[in-house]
Amino acid sequence: MSITRRDFLKIAAVTGGVAAVGTPVVNSVLALGKKPVSLPQYVPTTCEMCFWRCGVIAKVIDGKVVKLDGNPLHPNSRGKLCARGHGGIGLLYDPDRLKTPLINTGGRAEGKFKKASWDEALGYVAEKMQKIKENYGAESIVLLTHGTISTYFIHLLQAFGSPNFAFPSFALCRGARDTAFEITFGEAVGNPERVDIQNSKVVVLIGSHLGENAHNSQCQEFAEAVGKGATIIVVDPRFSTAAGKAKYWLPIKPATDLALLLAWINVIINEGLYDKEYVAKYTVGFNEVASAVKEYTPEWAEKETDIPASLIIETARVMGKNKPHVLIHPGRHTSWYSDNVQRVRAVAILTALLGAYGRPGGIYLYPKKKLEPVFLSEKDYPDHQKPEIHKGNYPFAGEEGITHAIVRATLTEEPYPIKGWFTTGINIIKAMPNQKDTLKAIQKLDLLVAVDMMPYDGVVLADVVLPECTYLERHDDLFTVKERAFGISIRQPVVQPMYDTKPGWWIAKELGKRLGLEDYFPWNTFEDFLKMKCETWGIDYSELAKKGYISFPESEKPYITADNEPKFKTPSGKIELYSKELKEKGFDPVPKYTKHEQPPEGWFRLIYGRAPVHTFSRTTNNPSLWELMEENTAWVNAKVAKRMGLKNGEYIVLINQDGVKSNKVRIKITERIRPDCLYLVHGFSSTSKLLRKAYLRGADDQQLITRYDIDPIAGTVGMRVNFVKIAKEV
Amino acid sequence: MPRYVMVIDVERCIGCMACVIACKKENNVADGYFRTRVVEEVRGEFPYLRMELRSELCNHCEIAPCIDACPTRASHRAKDGTVQIEKKKCIGCKACILACPYDARYSTPEGVADKCTFCDHRLKEGKNPACVETCLGHSRIFGDLDDPNSEVSQLIKKYDASVRLEFAGTRPRVFYINKKFAGGL
Amino acid sequence: MIELSITGTNAITYPYLKVWDWRIVIYLFLGGLSAGMLVMCSIANLRIPKQPVEELAQCVRAPFIAFIVLAVGAQFIILDLGSPFNLYWGYLTFQPLSLMSWGTWGVPAVLLANGLYILAVIPKEQRHRLRFPFLIKISEKLAPKMRPIAKLNFAMGIFLGIYTGVLLSSFAAIPLWNNATLPILFLVSALSSGAAMIVIIAKKAEIKFLFTKIDIWLIVAELVVIALFFYGLYTSTAPYKKAIEPFFSLTDEHFIFTIALIAIFLLLPLALRIKLGELKEYEDGFHGEFTKSQIFRMNFAALLVLAGTLILRAAIVYAGQLTKLSFY
Repeated sequence: MSITRRDFLKIAAVTGGVAAVGTPVVNSVLALGKKPVSLPQYVPTTCEMCFWRCGVIAKVIDGKVVKLDGNPLHPNSRGKLCARGHGGIGLLYDPDRLKTPLINTGGRAEGKFKKASWDEALGYVAEKMQKIKENYGAESIVLLTHGTISTYFIHLLQAFGSPNFAFPSFALCRGARDTAFEITFGEAVGNPERVDIQNSKVVVLIGSHLGENAHNSQCQEFAEAVGKGATIIVVDPRFSTAAGKAKYWLPIKPATDLALLLAWINVIINEGLYDKEYVAKYTVGFNEVASAVKEYTPEWAEKETDIPASLIIETARVMGKNKPHVLIHPGRHTSWYSDNVQRVRAVAILTALLGAYGRPGGIYLYPKKKLEPVFLSEKDYPDHQKPEIHKGNYPFAGEEGITHAIVRATLTEEPYPIKGWFTTGINIIKAMPNQKDTLKAIQKLDLLVAVDMMPYDGVVLADVVLPECTYLERHDDLFTVKERAFGISIRQPVVQPMYDTKPGWWIAKELGKRLGLEDYFPWNTFEDFLKMKCETWGIDYSELAKKGYISFPESEKPYITADNEPKFKTPSGKIELYSKELKEKGFDPVPKYTKHEQPPEGWFRLIYGRAPVHTFSRTTNNPSLWELMEENTAWVNAKVAKRMGLKNGEYIVLINQDGVKSNKVRIKITERIRPDCLYLVHGFSSTSKLLRKAYLRGADDQQLITRYDIDPIAGTVGMRVNFVKIAKEV
Repeated sequence: MPRYVMVIDVERCIGCMACVIACKKENNVADGYFRTRVVEEVRGEFPYLRMELRSELCNHCEIAPCIDACPTRASHRAKDGTVQIEKKKCIGCKACILACPYDARYSTPEGVADKCTFCDHRLKEGKNPACVETCLGHSRIFGDLDDPNSEVSQLIKKYDASVRLEFAGTRPRVFYINKKFAGGL
Repeated sequence: MIELSITGTNAITYPYLKVWDWRIVIYLFLGGLSAGMLVMCSIANLRIPKQPVEELAQCVRAPFIAFIVLAVGAQFIILDLGSPFNLYWGYLTFQPLSLMSWGTWGVPAVLLANGLYILAVIPKEQRHRLRFPFLIKISEKLAPKMRPIAKLNFAMGIFLGIYTGVLLSSFAAIPLWNNATLPILFLVSALSSGAAMIVIIAKKAEIKFLFTKIDIWLIVAELVVIALFFYGLYTSTAPYKKAIEPFFSLTDEHFIFTIALIAIFLLLPLALRIKLGELKEYEDGFHGEFTKSQIFRMNFAALLVLAGTLILRAAIVYAGQLTKLSFY
């Protein structure tokens, strides 16, 4: 049969018509059966993915958290969240989360867990605690703690009769810098640090790797400073992200930072680049400092630090020229060597000489607001018979306690045996150096209790594991935020606790009940306590719950002005460039340089740091963050690697000076690090099999930190004193 | 039709990677897949090093090779001028993934093509894309280039703005502003 | 030294593209084979001038086998589709700038033309095998129209053989494919494989001999075009120079492409040599039948050609995805 033209046109028309009509018909057919979308709820709360504690607004649809956004009202977030903040959803829905209380049925640290009810688990703990109290005294139970759960458990332990607790954040992290600033200026630097970066003309980072250390608002301000053309000076043996923004990157020989600081002070004093008026008005001890730094010339410092004298002079002049809008970042993790406090003292002295304390672009002053403290209960704690051991014998140890003093006391049983450890919100294996000591110490205990959200390395060693729900599922105490202005931030549940997990306050209260300590938890739910606290403070609780953050803008008085004169809570009432306090306790009143041991030939100094997508070991298993960074890598200088015949990305093993071998780790061959260093991001290679994503991924730097210095002033540790060498994968 | 563009101030990016994950959460992107990324490029020899942190995403090109390659009009230009994928029309032939010179696209576990949408569901509500909203460095800036008062218009006027692979002739709508620093001794 | 660290890559595009795999390679081979067969058997059927008596097609089984080959090949594309149930959307529109759209419409069109061809060339005695009476009726109607249908299939074959080359060359992001030589290369190699297949399946000795001769020209053309393909990329700009590197690399990773190139330049000339050898025997004219060993050599040469075509397509599809237009 033949097809006529008419037929052809008919067929074409029909086909075209079908196509034209068909599309919308198909569209509407496909639309049938689609569910109507529920409206989202927005609940404000406070993040706890790290300790910046940004304001968060959670978007919840049908009881599921679908997005987290920064609360625009909160000064730490300013409407934005870092990668970890967004990863909170990954924590909430991590299948490896602790779901029920667990009791170990095997020997200590064997982790042969059986599921238990809260009644059973809490009863077990209470019984053991009473026994220890009978035989050894309540002081024999100590608390190692971090995060908001500390509030409840410090209260519980003190009500029980033990004064002994420690936060890792003092001795293992920021204790030195707070001590140094307290000695010099009479007050700590604060959290968030009172750094006025967005107005700085010069930003000096000593070891700080802001950017990889993703503290939200501080990173925002750093980027702002960079965008406004501030001069960035980075002193770091590694070319960090911050160094990538820097005009001056000084790849300093590790452990010589104090030499550089003293040389800078030397130049600034000699060339008269310091703020003479400010120094005269607000400081004491200038002459002593001037004579003490005479020997610390740039030429001398060049020999110590590997940084040319001309560059030391040039950068000092840059600072001097731009005073007082110079920020020398006080640092945060400052537990490097045995002279931490003296090193940060030099930073503080330099800051004062440049007149930057209380001036734009330097360190801004605390907001002017004081609220009367509201305690969890009005009842007094019982007196403890035995002496407290948690501060060691360090004259300037902070109230937060010294972790290694507790470990030492447990190991030596001096002055009395320690028989019980509570570890809440802390991973004792990853946080504390010399893991062997920790493992030996816990063998001496009668009771080891862990309260946490995830089965971290330290958690799975416990006799009893009590699962706390995540920050998205609980109330916590109100946060007093002392940024430029004073503010209050709320944490409230965004969704109900999943599985059989409970908020920290409930766990402490229930345990307290079983210990006869109900009177110390007089409120029914923690929200009742919060409402009472708000009432005491004259804050509208419902407004706080709706907005998430309430600010007191009139409290913002960041700079020294005629009607805002600073008050320095030092013995002299002024900034103590020369510290009589230190002298009286037998320490150098002005920092003196000491040489530290350098790695022998063929060895590298192990240095460590942070990654922007992780909060050390807390997040290495978080599915949302794990897919951004699954494992850490060992940074090795390219020339060194070439000499050793290593290929980029191949697996190597690190062995430290005590023969400890790390897990296999990929090598990152890079130009970005000195030949005498090797760098790892801290917190990887979990030893807990229950963390299926994080288990044995990468290398654990803490495992290789088998020896540590102790700064005698405040008891902070020095963890950068370990040397490693490379072995090809065994 | 507005002319939505993104301007990226490379100098201000601090590599926090918040954009990478915020986008995923906002748009329910499957595990292991990404609609945007951050490239860290370091050049030089110790101690003379330079670093660039550059975020990359779909450029919503004005001459989009992906739209040309699509047989079903799943990839098309929407009314707001952005390049979008109508998933129900996608047959998963992956021609668009091969056509895109910017590695903007990928194939989802459901077998269809996916890519950055400039968060068009947020644009409709007058909000910025999720990556722009959360960018800590204020490095990603978004707006209508046809509005002379928008921040993007001001930036492109004041500074040299370049695009990725200009010679590919796709006329991208993501511009990079770069004021470089040099580090070292 | 350039250090690259990227957060947020997709495995399908980084560090190199892994978009199309063996499924597409097999389709390209089978599609090209079918295209070549259609063109070649149309040549066979049309070269004898029109007869007043009802003509007997010279090539009868080829259209049938071409149809099977293309139908099977099309299954492999469907296998590669991520969402094949949406395929009907491709038939609700036509996108002239999208070679995928040309293929979506074109392959069924080729199958249709091919089907008509089968019905037109089936000899009277075999017609009963069609079973269905309506098919037999159509076959009867189409038989006298064999010549125009053969011409149609010739055109369809050219389309089928070249459109995949145009499709690959349309991706600016893939330097190895993005040139004007690739479509020609694909067409020539398709025709060559078609001729080789006809040699194998033909029953009539003179058809076997005819296509052995035709294939000689096609092999020579293919070798020349391949050489021009590489030369053209070598003399082009940086991404294009980089794109051909795998074929000349001696490192572990990409050595297989160097092997592929060597294989192509061994197999094809070898086939050529064998065929020329056959021709030499018949310099003074062709008489009747072939011996068993002669047939074996012809088939062997044809198989070498088919192998060469398959290797060529596989190498181009995989090597092309190793080098992107962008720097990393």
